[in-house]
Amino acid sequence: MEARPALETKDLSRYFKGVVALNDVSVAISPGEVVGLVGDNGAGKSTLVKILSGDLEPSSGQVLIEGEEVHFRHPRDAKKRQIETIYQDLALCENLDIMENVFLGHESYRNPLLRLLDRRRMYRETSQLLEELAIRVPSTRELVMNLSGGQRQATALARVAKAGARLIILDEPTAALGVNETRNLLDLVLRFKAQGKTIIIISHEMRDVFEVTDRIIVLKRGELIADKLTAATDPDEIVRYIIRGRD
Amino acid sequence: MTAQSPNDASGLAVRLPAPLVAMLRRRDSNVFFLLFVLVAAIVFFTIQSPYFFSDRNAFNIGRAVSITGIAAAFATLLMISGGLDLSIGAIMNASGLAAAVIMVDPENSIIFAFAVSLGISAFIGFSNGIIVTKIGVNPIIATIGMQFVVRGMTLATRSGSALVRNRTFLEIGQGELAIGTMEIPVPVILMLTTMLLCYLALRFTQFGKYIYAIGDNASACRRAGINVAGMRIALYTLSGLGAGFAGIVLAGLTGAGIPYAAGSELSVISAVILGGVSLSGGVGVIQGTLLGVLLVGVLKNGMTLLNINANWQMVVEGSVLMIAVSLDQLKQRI
Repeated sequence: MEARPALETKDLSRYFKGVVALNDVSVAISPGEVVGLVGDNGAGKSTLVKILSGDLEPSSGQVLIEGEEVHFRHPRDAKKRQIETIYQDLALCENLDIMENVFLGHESYRNPLLRLLDRRRMYRETSQLLEELAIRVPSTRELVMNLSGGQRQATALARVAKAGARLIILDEPTAALGVNETRNLLDLVLRFKAQGKTIIIISHEMRDVFEVTDRIIVLKRGELIADKLTAATDPDEIVRYIIRGRD
Repeated sequence: MTAQSPNDASGLAVRLPAPLVAMLRRRDSNVFFLLFVLVAAIVFFTIQSPYFFSDRNAFNIGRAVSITGIAAAFATLLMISGGLDLSIGAIMNASGLAAAVIMVDPENSIIFAFAVSLGISAFIGFSNGIIVTKIGVNPIIATIGMQFVVRGMTLATRSGSALVRNRTFLEIGQGELAIGTMEIPVPVILMLTTMLLCYLALRFTQFGKYIYAIGDNASACRRAGINVAGMRIALYTLSGLGAGFAGIVLAGLTGAGIPYAAGSELSVISAVILGGVSLSGGVGVIQGTLLGVLLVGVLKNGMTLLNINANWQMVVEGSVLMIAVSLDQLKQRI
């Protein structure tokens, strides 16, 4: 018997004031799989990601986690099911330091009743975590406003790792990165994969997608156009799907 | 081409030494500056007037600023989170009047008066929070609307002036507490206690951390799983509670439920902004608000001792606020 999909959508649709952003999209992602989600602007990638991360509710259709139907009404609900998303804008607070961002929403307390923060412990754990992930930053006390693009991304990634996610969604993770930073990010994705995490990665960069994914899903105008094993396709074919849709 | 600093986006060609830049970028950088200005003002008035530098006058200043200070402590929390409450003065009046009216009847207990006044204040603040977060009305509009509603209802229900004779109630505003050899006015102690509590909350608790986080990036907080709407409603409720408490102290000080506090939200907000809180949220500390409140108090008191008339005092107060905000704006360019 085949393992139940880590994540499955059935006929998922979302309308905005009569405009169809997502139309009857059904996909199934197995545990430990790395799936690339590609498509032109306005293809529905962001809408799908927002629904999966609890930022947006679908107009119709179902989302199933390990075979069980879920209804996310707030990002909190998705996080409870161990779905963590790294948003394109990274969703960091500039006025907080690296540790405070890594632990945002997952704080440790010295006194749980008063919610007194155990800052010393969180700094220690952040340092350990960054070391494990081979992420280098000047100091865990550095404010995010003083960080480079790559360091910010690393902070967002560390937050996801900290949260103990089983499904990680990355929205355009390499769009704002330099060559070295992109390399580090892809290595990190592969490391997450080796840990058995299920990953959905949205990207315009075919090279990145082909390097790390097992399967590629193409969306166009809100519809699922293609769902191919990465090993059984090539960048030219995927680009053709993105531009022309189904033959 | 002349060499320019890489961060110089504004065309303001200044290059400051790195330690100074680091200091100016701190969350509490205003505190150093305000402390300096406050000390300078104290030195100036001490030289100019023989009556200025004394325990007695210090407590006069303290008493004068304590009501603004109590309301400002909670307004600071709200404003760091990016919120704004323009109904503070109206809430102070409603709460003070309610407490005074209850205290007129000698049968009623102080606890009952506090419960009713603070209950009304918290409810008004909570309503502000609901209108702002759940309906999505801009805070300025929502709380101005609330200001009119509350002010109208207060004036409509006021049945003559309510003179309070209960000694204990009057002590809240007029009393003094002996600490060592000093007799410190009760309102000053209440203000300092309120500020200390808000300081501890901001500095050491998750609640405080989320206030800063929401003020910087509310959507990131929501996506991090934080109940942003709940936090905002709590902060508007606290702002109402703070204003209500300030109103009770004011009623104790005046000994009557007279709506003296109309418009005092502007004093509160300007003290908070003077203290370094930005209207766009995310920055500021309670120490700044304390210094802002004290600076305004020292300036008013000193100018009164120097026989400067109230109209010119207003001009000075407004100018100080504008200078402070302008400096803050300039600071963001480095």
